[in-house]
Amino acid sequence: MRKEDTVKLISAEGFEFVIDKEAAMVSQTIRNMLTSPGSFAETEHGEVTFPEISTVILEKICQYFYWSLQYARGKETEFPIEPELTLELMMAANYLHT
Amino acid sequence: MSAPKKKTIQIEAFRHRVVADPKYAEKTWNILEHAIHEIYNHNASGLSFEELYRNAYNMVLHKFGEKLYSGLVATMTFHLKEICSSIEAAQGGLFLEELNRKWADHNKALQMIRDILMYMDRTFIPSAHKTPVHELGLNLWRDVVIHSSKIQTRLLDTLLELIQGERSGEVINRGLMRNITKMLMDLGSSVYQDDFEKQFLESSADFYRLESQEFIESCDCGEYLKKAERRLNEEIERVSHYLDAKSEAKITNVVEKELIESHMQRLVHMENSGLVNMIVGDKYEDLGRMYSLFRRVASGLVLIRDVMTSYIRETGKQLVTDLERLKDPVDFVQRLLDIKDKYDKIIGSAFSNDKTFQNALNSSFEYFINLNSRSPEYISLFVDDKLRKGLKGVSEEDVEIILDKVMMLFRYLQEKDVFEKYYKQHLAKRLLSGKTVSDDAERSLIVKLKTECGYQFTSKLEGMFTDMKTSEDTMQGFYANVGADLGDGPTLSVQVLTTGSWPTQPINTCNLPTEILSICEKFRNYYLGTHTGRRLTWQTNMGTADLKATFGKGQKHELNVSTYQMCVLMLFNNTDRLTYREIEQAAEIPASDLKRCLQSLACVKGKNVLRKEPMSKDIADSDAFFFNDKFTSKFFKVKIGTVVAQRESEPENQETRQRVEEDRKPQIEAAIVRIMKARRVLDHNNIVTEVTKQLQSRFLPNPVVIKKRIESLIEREFLERDKGDRKLYRYLA
Repeated sequence: MRKEDTVKLISAEGFEFVIDKEAAMVSQTIRNMLTSPGSFAETEHGEVTFPEISTVILEKICQYFYWSLQYARGKETEFPIEPELTLELMMAANYLHT
Repeated sequence: MSAPKKKTIQIEAFRHRVVADPKYAEKTWNILEHAIHEIYNHNASGLSFEELYRNAYNMVLHKFGEKLYSGLVATMTFHLKEICSSIEAAQGGLFLEELNRKWADHNKALQMIRDILMYMDRTFIPSAHKTPVHELGLNLWRDVVIHSSKIQTRLLDTLLELIQGERSGEVINRGLMRNITKMLMDLGSSVYQDDFEKQFLESSADFYRLESQEFIESCDCGEYLKKAERRLNEEIERVSHYLDAKSEAKITNVVEKELIESHMQRLVHMENSGLVNMIVGDKYEDLGRMYSLFRRVASGLVLIRDVMTSYIRETGKQLVTDLERLKDPVDFVQRLLDIKDKYDKIIGSAFSNDKTFQNALNSSFEYFINLNSRSPEYISLFVDDKLRKGLKGVSEEDVEIILDKVMMLFRYLQEKDVFEKYYKQHLAKRLLSGKTVSDDAERSLIVKLKTECGYQFTSKLEGMFTDMKTSEDTMQGFYANVGADLGDGPTLSVQVLTTGSWPTQPINTCNLPTEILSICEKFRNYYLGTHTGRRLTWQTNMGTADLKATFGKGQKHELNVSTYQMCVLMLFNNTDRLTYREIEQAAEIPASDLKRCLQSLACVKGKNVLRKEPMSKDIADSDAFFFNDKFTSKFFKVKIGTVVAQRESEPENQETRQRVEEDRKPQIEAAIVRIMKARRVLDHNNIVTEVTKQLQSRFLPNPVVIKKRIESLIEREFLERDKGDRKLYRYLA
C-alpha cells in the first residue's frame, strides 16, 4: 500500500490507525481535511489527530468506514454496535459528518 | 452514524460539557480569526484543519454561531478591502491581471474557510437563515471589490476597451478576459448582465452603427455582406472564447440589427451590386451570403424573395412580350428553360433550396408564361422540334430530362387545353410524316401528360398511336391479299385515322393522278371488305409521296413531296409548260394550298424542280410553270417543302382560339351538371368557384362563359332558377 493512499488517524490516547484514504473519506469532514486547496498540516503529513475521540470509538469508526464502503458496493451485512458505545459514536458521527 | 440498527436502545438527554470559561468564545474566535488571516496571507501550511474545524464545531455547538458568523463577515470584509486597494493601485494593463490574481486567491481562501467552517454551514446557517459561506464570500467580493467606486467603471471600461481593441485587430489576452467574465458570471448572472453585458451590447451597437454607415458608403453590396459576415463570425467567436454562451444570441442580435436590418433595403437595391446584379451575374457565393445573413433578421428573406420575384416577373414579362423573340418559338421556350435552370441553380446553391423561394419562382413563372396567350402553342412547337430532330442521338436519360423540363413549363400553363390542341396537331403531323425521332420519347411524354392531367387529357393522343399501329397491320394485310395484282404501279401506304382522335381539318379534296386513284380504289375495296359499316375519306392534305424523276442530263433524283405537290408534278409528266390556271383546273387543289406548294416547288433555291415565269417570290394567278431541266442537287434524295410545323399566322391563331373556346363549352357544361347533380341546389357564385376548381387542371374558365353555359342549361331544362331566390339554381333530374 503506497503512503499517498493511506491516512493515519490518531485517537485522543495517541493510538494510530492507518487506513485507506478511500475509507477515511467516507467522513465528509476528513474528506475536506485532505482535499482542501490550502496546504493544511493534515494534507501535508497525511495524519489527523482527534483529541476528542477515544481509541475505542475511533476503532469502531474505522470499522464502520470499511463496512460502509462494502455496503455501498452492494454487500448488505449488519454493522454491530454495542449499546454502550452508541452515544459517543453518534457524537463522533456528527463531528465527522458521516 | 447512519448504520442500520436493530437493537432498541434508550436515549437519554445529552448535555454538552458546560463551558466554564466566560472568555471561551473570545479565545476560540481569536484562533479562527488568526487562521483566516493566515489563509489570506498564504500562510496556511502550519494550520491544523482538525483543530480549526473542532473549534468552529464547538463554537456552533455552544451557541456561538452568531458570533462566529459575524466575525467571519467582518474579517473577510477587512481582507477584501485590503485586496480592493491593492487592485486599485494596479497600473494600466496590470489592473485586470491583479484583479484576476486576487480573485483566484480569494476563491482559494474562500474554499478553505468554507471547509473549516463546514459545520456552521451545515447546521447554524440553515437554521439561522443566513447566507452560506461560499455565497457570502462571493457576495462580499461583489459588494466590496467589484462594486467599489474605483473599480466598477474601470473594470467595465477596461473590458470594453479590450474588446474594441480586438475588433480593430489587436491581439488581447483572451485567457484573462475569459477569467474575468467568468468571475462576473460566478458572481451571479445579474452581475454579469448589469456590470458588463448591458454596456457591452450598447457599445457594440454604437460601434456597428458607425461602422455599417462607413461600410455602406464605401463598399458595394457583395463586399459589405462579406464584411458583415466576418463581423458576425468574429462576435460569435468572441462569445465562444470569453463570454457567456447566453450572450451569443444577444450580440448577434445587435450585429444583425445594425449591420443587416437597418441597411437591408439599401443593400438589396444597391445600384450595380444589389440582389438583381448578383442574380444577373450568377454570383452564387454572394447570394448565398446574403441569404444566410438576411435569414437572421425578421422579414429579411421576405425582402429577398419579393425583389427576386418582381425581377423574375419583370424580365419574364419582357421576354414573353418581346415581339422579336416570339418569331422563333423554339428559341423562346429554350430561353424560358434557361431562365428556369438559372433560378433553380441559384435557389439550389445559394438559397439552400428554400421551399418558399421555389414557390415564389413557380408562381412568377406561372404569372409571366400565361401573359402570352401563345405560350401553349410555343411549348408544343418546342416539343415538336425536339421530337423531330433535337433529340437525335441524345441518350435516353437526357431525353427524359428535357421532357421533364417541358412538363414543368406545361404545369405553369393555365390553358392546358390549348396546349393539348396544338400538341395534337403537331403530333399528327409528326406521326403522318413519320418524322418522329423516338417512339419511346413520344410515349414517355404522353405518360407524363397522363399523370399530370389524367386519362381524359391523353386518351385521344393515345388513340392516334393506336391508329398508326392498326394502319401498319392493315397495310400488311392489304399487300398480302392484293399485292400480287398490283404489278408495277405506285406503292401506297395508308394510315386510317379514327375521326375524333385526330385534329379535324376541313376536307380539301383534289384530283389525284389516275395511277394513284386506281390503287386507292383497290385499298378502299379491301378495307371496306374487312371492316363493314365504315366510311373512308381521303385526307389528301396530310399525305406525302416519293417520286422518281429524271432531269435534263439524265441525272436521277428521288423527290420527297407532299400529296399536293405530287399531284402538281405528275401533271408535268405529259407536258413541260403549264399555267397557274391550268394547274388549278387539273388538280383542283384549294388556291391557298396550291400557291404554297407551287412556291416550294419553284421558288426555293436548290429545290426548284419547276421554273416559274416571270421569276419572283410570290405566285400570281398569271404565272406559268416549266419543268426545270437544269435542276441539280448534291443529294440523290431531295426533300421538298417539308411540312415543318410553323408558328401559326394571326388568322390561324384566331381560328384555333375559336375552336378551343368551342371545345370548352361542353366541358364547362359537363362540370356544371356534375356539380349540380351532387349538390341539387347551389347559388351562382359557388357554382363558378366549383367549376373553376374542377377545370383548373385544364384551363381557367371565364366566369362570363360559365354564366352563359348556365343560361343555356336552363334553356335546355337541366337547371332552373329558384322561384324565391333568383341567385339559386336547382338541378332538374
